Amino acid sequence: MSQTENPPAKIRGQHSDFRYALHLLRQNPIVMAGLVISVATVLLALFSNVLVNGAYWHQQNLNLRLCWNNPDFGWPVTNMFNCGGSVYPIGTDAYGRNLLDMIVLAIPIDLQIALEVVASAVVIGVVFGSLAAYMGGLVDEIILRITDIFLAVPWILLAIVLIVVLGRSLTTLTVAVIITWWPWYVRLMRSQVIGEKEKLYVERLRMVGAGWPRILFRHIIPNSIYPILVQSTLDIGSVILTVSALTFIGLTPNPLLPELGNLSNQGIQYFFTAPWLITFPGLTILIISLGFNLLGDGIRDIFDPRLRR
Amino acid sequence: MVFVLFALSVLIFFLTRGLLPPTTALAPYINPRLTDAGKLSIARAVGVATSSCASFSDFAALRSGCVTPLWTQYFYWLKNVLVGNWGYTLLPGISGTQTTWSVFFGRFPYTAELDIVAAALTFIIGVPLGIISATRNNKVPDHISRIVSLGGYSIPQFWFGAMLLIVFVLYFRVGGLGLLPASGALGTTCALCFGQSQVGTITSYTGVPLLDSLFSLNIPYFWDSVVALILPALTLAITSLGLLTRIVRSNMMEVLRQDYITMAKSKGLKERVVTYKHALRNAILPAITVAGLLVTYLIGGSVIVEIVFSWPGVGSAALVAADVLDINFLELFVLVAGVIIVVTNLVVDILYAVLDPRIRF
Repeated sequence: MSQTENPPAKIRGQHSDFRYALHLLRQNPIVMAGLVISVATVLLALFSNVLVNGAYWHQQNLNLRLCWNNPDFGWPVTNMFNCGGSVYPIGTDAYGRNLLDMIVLAIPIDLQIALEVVASAVVIGVVFGSLAAYMGGLVDEIILRITDIFLAVPWILLAIVLIVVLGRSLTTLTVAVIITWWPWYVRLMRSQVIGEKEKLYVERLRMVGAGWPRILFRHIIPNSIYPILVQSTLDIGSVILTVSALTFIGLTPNPLLPELGNLSNQGIQYFFTAPWLITFPGLTILIISLGFNLLGDGIRDIFDPRLRR
Repeated sequence: MVFVLFALSVLIFFLTRGLLPPTTALAPYINPRLTDAGKLSIARAVGVATSSCASFSDFAALRSGCVTPLWTQYFYWLKNVLVGNWGYTLLPGISGTQTTWSVFFGRFPYTAELDIVAAALTFIIGVPLGIISATRNNKVPDHISRIVSLGGYSIPQFWFGAMLLIVFVLYFRVGGLGLLPASGALGTTCALCFGQSQVGTITSYTGVPLLDSLFSLNIPYFWDSVVALILPALTLAITSLGLLTRIVRSNMMEVLRQDYITMAKSKGLKERVVTYKHALRNAILPAITVAGLLVTYLIGGSVIVEIVFSWPGVGSAALVAADVLDINFLELFVLVAGVIIVVTNLVVDILYAVLDPRIRF
């Protein structure tokens, strides 16, 4: 039967398809901006320990706390401390450390948590989502109901409870965010696989006697994982927002730790004496998450065949 | 629906009780000045200590046979949840004789007020942005609208709030904007009140400052509450509208491409009539489905916004509760949020069926 069917002639080869996508990418300045910001963030994270001494954040200098010495820009606060002779381009934090150095040291920490969260959520989502869709019936029902429960709680409340119960550390912070994040990926993967498993090639595979793990893991998942990967790029920005929001509200393992939300937490405590302390870490979060969001948005538009024409 | 709430209660119970010692769970119910015998009898009544437990010190040392199994504890807990018995609050600065329930629902109206106003603002700003974006596709208004929605999606909520404070309070000192309504109890201070130091009388009908002042016909206080609400609600709305705008935009673009729109245009109807009368009705319907998601997002976001603006709601109290291990306050918050979200989803489903005659259950 399959011999009588001719495969549809390929209009564009896979290679030229990819080149066409690259061409679209180059034409879109907004996506290019996102790409540049994301690559710069990753590079900065990789080389942060070269740029700034990593052990520097342990050193407190209480004589220099909350000082600002940039004469070009003033803040509308009274009693601004002066830093003496040394130069701190964006001031110092509440422990007398150079705020710019702290931000450089913070980027790899935030990025690492974000990558861990997204990677774990993708793995959990792909496995459970595809199982739910492929098995159907009771398995599907159970997995879906479990995601329902997790989606009926605001993520921040669940994360607060988890961190309170498990204790405060970077690991529990990561775990808490993973637990609030995975249901979305399960749902996304499930909807993908449900469409994919009805296709003819799956039926043919079953006909030639392939077992379900082989069909699922070798054929269906590689064919339907694409939107998940796009979503994961888009989510790196959101995870950084989430993690920094949690440390901002004070669920932090160590108040000294240079982490963007942690630095902002100092900023809100000293809001009326040192407004720069919330301005610059928050601005960094905005730029990084905007970069990843622009990139993810652009990739989705470019690779979505419905929007191409 | 009931299943989700039941499962949520199981989840939150086993997360908190299963991983924390039973003495933490008992803390909201006992007074530290009680004798050990009194503590033990309360521990038995709450269901954490067995009846065969000899003394309170045995229970505190978690001697085997003294602590009831978690499943038994769950049913005692569920009974207390259903009758609203959450014990006494552990929050500092509040008299220890106040129950967790009364503290929570004393602060809850403030959060509800903030969230409802923010939700209204989200729709008021988000829907027109989506429409403009679709009708002026790939032109300047579209780009602006996309930047606003993507920016709102990428901006840290606490940072946006803080920036609004810096601009409007530190730099321009716009009267009263950063000031708060009288925190906790109504009618103690008044930030604007047109120069009046005394607030006048306000009867607490609902606990919501906006409504109470209006019902008491206290216009200065009402104005005060409105001004205090502007920045927090705007922060919450701008950071939440991305999803709504995106959905309205894509639906509108889909609808505008359909034949009946071309038909309406070729009949000679005005562009505006076609857009707002024919297209919008069909495009806005699926936007209602994000309401459930929006509510989840707003309740979560209000925790952060309340901390930035020192808003006297439940969100800022939840953080204090996390510090002092007042687990009951957090459990109550999670369950109340769960009820709100589940009910919203149900209402959305019903509303959808009512508004769209094609859907029949």
